[in-house]
Amino acid sequence: MYDVRIRLSKRGRIKFVSHLDMFRLMQRAVRRADIPLWYTEGFNPHPYVSYLLALPLGVEGLSEPIDIRLVEEMPAEEVQARLNAVLPEGLRVESVAAPFHKPAEIAFGRYEVFLDKSDISKEELTEALECGELTCEKSGKSGHKKIMKTVNVSEHIRRYAVDDAGEQIKLEVVLPAGSTFNLNPLQLMEAVSARLGRRVYPPLTVRTALLCADESEFR
Amino acid sequence: MDKKLEKILPLVQKPARYTGGELNSVVKDKNAVDIRFAFCFPDSYEIGMSHLGIKILYSLINARQDAWCERVFAPWPDMEAQMRDNGIPLYALESGDPVAAFDIVGFTLQYELCYTNVLNMLDLAGLPVRSKDRKTLFPLVVGGGPCACNPEPMADFFDLFMLGDGEEVTNELLDLYKAHKRKGSSKTEFLRDASKLPGIYVPAFYDVAYQEDGTVGAIVPKEGAPEKIVKRVVRDLDRVFYPDSFVVPFIDVVFDRVTHEIFRGCIRGCRFCQACFLSRPIREKTPETINEQCKALCRNTGYDEISLCSLSSSDYSHIEELLSRLLDWTPDEKVNIALPSLRVDNFSDELLQKLTGVRKSGLTFAPEAGTQRMRDVINKNVTEEELLETARVAFAGGYSAVKLYFMLGLPTETPEDVQGIAALARRVVDEYYAMPDKPKGRGVSVSVSASNFVPKPFTPFQWEPQATREELKEKQTLLLHSCPSKKVNISFHDIDTSFLEGVFARGDRRLSDVIETAWKQGCIFDSWNDHFKFDKWMESFAACGLSPEFYANRRRDYGETLPWDHLDYGVSKGYLERENEKAKRAETTANCKIKCAGCGANKLNGGHCDV
Ligand code: SF4
Ligand code: SF4
Repeated sequence: MYDVRIRLSKRGRIKFVSHLDMFRLMQRAVRRADIPLWYTEGFNPHPYVSYLLALPLGVEGLSEPIDIRLVEEMPAEEVQARLNAVLPEGLRVESVAAPFHKPAEIAFGRYEVFLDKSDISKEELTEALECGELTCEKSGKSGHKKIMKTVNVSEHIRRYAVDDAGEQIKLEVVLPAGSTFNLNPLQLMEAVSARLGRRVYPPLTVRTALLCADESEFR
Repeated sequence: MDKKLEKILPLVQKPARYTGGELNSVVKDKNAVDIRFAFCFPDSYEIGMSHLGIKILYSLINARQDAWCERVFAPWPDMEAQMRDNGIPLYALESGDPVAAFDIVGFTLQYELCYTNVLNMLDLAGLPVRSKDRKTLFPLVVGGGPCACNPEPMADFFDLFMLGDGEEVTNELLDLYKAHKRKGSSKTEFLRDASKLPGIYVPAFYDVAYQEDGTVGAIVPKEGAPEKIVKRVVRDLDRVFYPDSFVVPFIDVVFDRVTHEIFRGCIRGCRFCQACFLSRPIREKTPETINEQCKALCRNTGYDEISLCSLSSSDYSHIEELLSRLLDWTPDEKVNIALPSLRVDNFSDELLQKLTGVRKSGLTFAPEAGTQRMRDVINKNVTEEELLETARVAFAGGYSAVKLYFMLGLPTETPEDVQGIAALARRVVDEYYAMPDKPKGRGVSVSVSASNFVPKPFTPFQWEPQATREELKEKQTLLLHSCPSKKVNISFHDIDTSFLEGVFARGDRRLSDVIETAWKQGCIFDSWNDHFKFDKWMESFAACGLSPEFYANRRRDYGETLPWDHLDYGVSKGYLERENEKAKRAETTANCKIKCAGCGANKLNGGHCDV
């Protein structure tokens, strides 16, 4: 068995396809791609596809890691080409390589958030990001029950930069990601909206990379 | 993607229903085609994308160089609200272009309760709902599907209907449309020619007069339209177009798999079953063709399940051969086979073995009625012993959940027949516990689904009154009280919904007003319980001065002109009348394999049925 890590970009309207649906989509894609897949045992065997970290609905991704398992080796370029031949518009395999890090090593996500200047000014955005008391509601678990928790967002902003030189305001931000705690930029913008008292929704949000604890790129 | 659309999508549920861009969806250059066709399904994306007919016609139209077919579904009310608030008209998924810009807007009418959705979609597209208010050749609004067999309640909204199998007539219609578009014809000029194509029904070319008692008096054609419109039948299923790829939805839909139709028609002739009579004569596809087409579909979609569909799969003459062929390659490709619509009476041990080798899930049977007398009336030729024997085989094969389908309110039904349903369900439970080596610690679960009988056109029961809402209520209560077993779980269908279905199934043109009124009162998605507004419907009937009971609960006599009498589906009225008489005597009719009962449908196929 050979595990290979695919890095997938997800751009354009396909960003509205949820994580759960992406999972099924990738399972079917690998089947169509005619690569030597390893199937799970059991009565209803399916190919092993592991999506390392969910991408929130509505967010684009440039380098989303997915692990698949093969029964025999196949050159990386071959796997990449075969997958790209069958993926729907908006999805592309950017690279294929042996996994380097363990999935648990994912610690942060780096994002670019584009905002319309008619929705918010650079000053308003900076003030909100600096205020130290941004909060949002996040669903969590208490035992087996689903509950809503108020999260202090400000505490979790690892770093950010705001650039308003272009037609839109561009916010670059690094937020916690991984199996233990996640905060996504849409939640961050909800917190900003709550503070401003009006809805500010970014027309475009992109996860550019996943990072390890030392902020080196997850591979 | 449209900027306005992009802004609202984060605000609605399951936005991937509205984006398009799915695998195998077809995008063409709109300037390089002559005809743009918007295929509309008047229900949610999940329901529409599960439907086989839309997949066939989508691929068939897109196989033409000169045409581009796109898909349109009814937006869910949350999306509709956003669209209306933001001035986004109904658009097609492939191009995102407004439906009003298309040449032809085609609706498939799968069930009566989708009618208000048709109006709502036309309105969302910015089009007048009534045919007479749409003056130009485009968009032309056309309809097809099972409800086209009596489209009268929708007659005022459509420009034309296509009756029967759509594969050939669709192409003929597109050819004709293209010629007229080129000539710059008026809508009437086009419709006049279209009405001469076999299988095309232009409702505006028929004047309907009513008698004092409210029944139809005469149906008179004009503009040279034919007296009778005969439905279309594809003769050779092996050669007719079948897609080699399906659009693969992003989101989970009701049936998300390769579906393959193995034959058309049904040999059984159960007297309540409209699907059977509408789809006759019986035509089969060869196992070779089915196998090859399934292979291509699996390869092009990545689906891991094939569903062999037909009205009664086990009646397919080559079922064993087909399964062998499929099982040659499906296990290696990790593809499952599902065979819905199996009948209990020829569900062989061997067949069961083959299928269980592939997949085990719940089993469903449709005895439809609880007593032998009642089953004889409806011509469901299955005995209790056969049903129990099948249950035994299934239980021994490891199944422990069984679902049984019944109908309430069948003609001549007595309280004993209703109680018989409970008794039969109990006997199935007993069968499980009588097994010598039943699995320990696992109980059996028998669910009974009791729907309400709705008399439909082109069936032997087309003259029968539907049981009233009160009667149905009593029957449901009786069934519930006669079934104390905890192992049996009974579920019912909504009575008001069935009543409305009964009204529209056998309705006439005057109901167009009721449908429009109800839609204006906010009725949409009527087949969804949480959207169904029965009171608004009743108000609409009253406002239009029409009685729903007149349509649903009245017995017609054989001499009455029925609203669909000018439509010919092959099955003769004489045959239906004979069958109705036999039903009254609880006499059965043998299936077509044993003896042709002379239903008349084979005349549409050169006198031939594949039996
Ligand atoms: S077996 Fe009976 S109920 Fe089933 S499709 Fe045939 S006629 Fe209809
Ligand atoms: S023509 Fe005869 S064999 Fe054919 S469907 Fe009718 S009854 Fe059956």
